[in-house]
Amino acid sequence: MNQSWVARRVRRSVPLSAAVLALGAQLSAASAEDIIRFGAPLPITGALAPEAVKQQQGYDLWAEQANKAGGISVGGKKYKVQIVYTDYQSNTPRAVQATEQMISQDNVNFMFGAFGSGAAKAASTVSEKYKVPTLAATASSSQVYDQGYKYLFGTFTPNDTLTTPLTKIIKTKVPDVKKVAILARNDLFPLAIAQEMEKSAKAEGYEVVYSEKYSIGTLDHSAALSQIKSLAPQWIFVTGYTNDLLLVRKQMVDQQMKAPVVTMIAGPAYQEFIDALGPAAENVSSAAWWHPAEQYNGKDIFGTTANFVKLFKDKYNSEPDYGQASAALCGALFQIAIEKAGSLDRDKVRDELAKLDVVTFFGPVKFGANGQINSLDPPVFQIQGGKPVVLFPQAIQQGDLKIGVN
Amino acid sequence: MQAAQILINALVLGCLYACIAIGFSLVWGVLNVINLIHGSFIVLGAYLAFGLYNALHIPPWYAVIVAAPLFFVLGYLLQRLILNRVITAPVLVTLTLTFGLDLILNNAMIYVFKADYRKLTLTPSLGSASIFDVVVPVDRLIATAAALALTGLLYLLLRRSRIGRAIVAVRLDRDAAVLMGVNVPSIYAIAFGLGAALAGCAGVLMALIFPISPLTSSAYLGKAFVVCVLGGLGSVSGALAGGLLLALVEGVGSTFLGPSHATTLSFVLLIVFLVLRPQGLVGRKGFE
Repeated sequence: MNQSWVARRVRRSVPLSAAVLALGAQLSAASAEDIIRFGAPLPITGALAPEAVKQQQGYDLWAEQANKAGGISVGGKKYKVQIVYTDYQSNTPRAVQATEQMISQDNVNFMFGAFGSGAAKAASTVSEKYKVPTLAATASSSQVYDQGYKYLFGTFTPNDTLTTPLTKIIKTKVPDVKKVAILARNDLFPLAIAQEMEKSAKAEGYEVVYSEKYSIGTLDHSAALSQIKSLAPQWIFVTGYTNDLLLVRKQMVDQQMKAPVVTMIAGPAYQEFIDALGPAAENVSSAAWWHPAEQYNGKDIFGTTANFVKLFKDKYNSEPDYGQASAALCGALFQIAIEKAGSLDRDKVRDELAKLDVVTFFGPVKFGANGQINSLDPPVFQIQGGKPVVLFPQAIQQGDLKIGVN
Repeated sequence: MQAAQILINALVLGCLYACIAIGFSLVWGVLNVINLIHGSFIVLGAYLAFGLYNALHIPPWYAVIVAAPLFFVLGYLLQRLILNRVITAPVLVTLTLTFGLDLILNNAMIYVFKADYRKLTLTPSLGSASIFDVVVPVDRLIATAAALALTGLLYLLLRRSRIGRAIVAVRLDRDAAVLMGVNVPSIYAIAFGLGAALAGCAGVLMALIFPISPLTSSAYLGKAFVVCVLGGLGSVSGALAGGLLLALVEGVGSTFLGPSHATTLSFVLLIVFLVLRPQGLVGRKGFE
């Protein structure tokens, strides 16, 4: 009795379910046509996870804003934005595989670059092969753009644009500095920054008394720091990622190391660096590609820098840094280029990206012939009173360099 | 003077390395389990210290008292409920199991605490002590003293207590221990619990010195591995000797060859030991 009742219910529900499924399929087919898909390979797990999470926040904020505004307008029709993420587990060969899969199987329209210079360069070989316009949010090394690629663009200026203004400021404000010590993480970006720093320092006539690399995952820097201390440099320059720089700074305090100038790239731009170090972060100088204190009035979806900062704070309850801003910018730039092209044709969008000359919340954006942005003055800043204070460029200067890091 | 500074740095760091490794060594030596969760236990201990200090202002040296029983129970239950099912299986099975458990715990920590780096900052700061020109941070001295105390306690427990003697007996000859009336599963669980407690305490102490993130667990695990091979498995004094040797090699190597070669040097040392003295500095052949 019960069985036949169940059987009857099942039989009756089959046509209904089929109808619902068919309707759903139709609906999804209809919505699939109105979606622009962006591929974003990211190291969501593994050593680079903190940076990947930041980059993802930038993309998500842009996608949310673009969709809230109805989507991207292509020839009078609005398309919603969808970002397809793949976790390449901080493993560069997997970033290349992920890019291949996104383009050939997930049918993405456009690509965001993988995190950092190394992975972005490796993955760009695939997107170039398929002629998919790619915007790299966090690749600064010029080696990424010297490949003669047509479809790769990046929103970070070359590394020397960070070290040159910094060196000039120190030269003017602290003439007593004669000896510089450089300690760099043995990784593509930190090493490239360290090399640029060495060049900039030598160009200004400084004596580089120490220039060494430390391995990825180093827990203790006390031996290197003892050696630096014995050389008594007036400027200590350290590069690496947040974890390394927290360790080095803490161990510098432990060893009672003092210097007129201490520069760290790229930790101080992150709020967690300031929160974790407290007073030890005071007067540490740095440089980054963007800063929330900037005041640009842009033509992109975010408009002013202040509006971007506000939207970011509302969504994530924290201050945005340059990585998050650059990721959001990449989305905003795609939006501008697609709308100008009035088409989803990859070549047309690529040409619009190459022609871009626009002011955004991030600053003026114009790509050089190699695809790397060449229109920005990255800000130099210093932690003063627990806050980053911009020292350069003059247009957005908030304070003067304070001398002495204890 | 720089030589004295390097030596002091190495001595202090060596004790910290020993503290990281001692629980790992105990579990490996007694249960013949390469416990890949060890690094994540250390990080979990560090989060405990971070939470207790920020919420209740309990300094890490007192947090050890909370961490030890908590992690003992965690380790005991983990061994009894999960690991015990495969304890007699080949070492690769237990290795895979602890690897899987580590993935779960580590990703759970990333989910709960996020991957961001945090730092336990004592206010006011403890500062550094200096003798002539040799500087030693006070927090490292405290962590070193606590690490030595933990090492000493474990040594006394293994040598002087009934449970300790049973652990050593199981380590030396499992079958003979069974014949002598030792409850081997219970001893295994106690040993694993002790290993976890030592990892948790090490984490609490490391929170004083190193930044905290789930991602640092592999660095701790790597150090524990090297220290164990250098010192000898399942030996308290071996962990101490291995820790000191590793710190000394890293310190001297970093000074003369540059910091990037310190890690290479420690792994060269590891290979040399594996080939020439696989039982480590203190370990004796034939225990397993």
